[in-house]
Amino acid sequence: MHEFSISDEIVRDVLDAVKENKGRKVLSIQLEIGELALLNAEQVTFWIHELFKGSVAEGAKVKVRTMKARIKCESCGYKGGIPSDPQSSLRHLGPPTCPQCNSFQFNIEKGRECILRKIQVVK
Amino acid sequence: MKIIRPKGPEIFDIELEKDLLAKNRGLARENRKQFDLSNILAVDIMGSIGSGKTSLIKAILRKLGMGRKVAVVAGDLTTTIDAERIEMEGARVIQVNTGKECHLDALLIRRAIDRMKLDDVRVLFIENVGNLICPGEFPLGAHKRLVVTSVTEGPYTIVKHPYIFREADVIVVNKLDLAKPMKISLSKLEKDAKKINPSAPFIKTNALKGTGIPKIIHALGLKT
Repeated sequence: MHEFSISDEIVRDVLDAVKENKGRKVLSIQLEIGELALLNAEQVTFWIHELFKGSVAEGAKVKVRTMKARIKCESCGYKGGIPSDPQSSLRHLGPPTCPQCNSFQFNIEKGRECILRKIQVVK
Repeated sequence: MKIIRPKGPEIFDIELEKDLLAKNRGLARENRKQFDLSNILAVDIMGSIGSGKTSLIKAILRKLGMGRKVAVVAGDLTTTIDAERIEMEGARVIQVNTGKECHLDALLIRRAIDRMKLDDVRVLFIENVGNLICPGEFPLGAHKRLVVTSVTEGPYTIVKHPYIFREADVIVVNKLDLAKPMKISLSKLEKDAKKINPSAPFIKTNALKGTGIPKIIHALGLKT
């Protein structure tokens, strides 16, 4: 739901890095979004494309990879991923229960990140 | 001698490995340190639009009677309505307008506390923007997070937003007096809350009348 502000920050980070490295044009950027982050990849991509317009990154490819979540259950000790249900649009709201014992008491160890991995630049 | 050179412009990768959400979490930890150093208990009040966040804060302030030893950061998109309402209770208030943003973040809180004289402040309430989704992802550094929902939001608010209710230290259901006309089962709401977050106290309130407010004060570890 806060895709615009995150995208704005990503664009600023990209343009700063390009300037610092004396790049002339950005070809692509690579993002990784955790499957439990409250961010929609399609909207993030849309905003980045919009915000790149008029800059050296206009037209750059935005590649988004999904990072698998990892949880640790406090009740049964389960460690691992969450069942994938690509149909569920509420997936990012978190797994409802531990896949092994159905407990709500678990810690999310991975899967809430939004990482700007790298950018490809022409010198 | 024939020298072979690469054709065309040079393409290279810049590795950034920057976690954008981690930045906020880092700032939140710094805020927490600042609160601890100043001996302040900070409480993040979250809830949907119209759930009664401001009314709840007003009721708590009235019951606490700590005057200007309590400070409130009122987060809102554009107006100062909430700040003015809270100021009437005698607390220090600072308004943070997020403009287009759907949540407060740790940087806005840092700016707010930098502008405040915190010397004799003991308790800080942070009223988040009315929203049950985004604030869950942006910790502010508060010691306690309270989520308030109200019976007028219908019977499914808690099950529909497990993420934010999971993060809560205290869960409040407000507008208790309207449960009957709204045909809301409070025990069903309590069951939903306990299923998602069994350790958080579930408190029923009528903020306008002050019902349930002492329980909140107790649950937050404030003086009674």
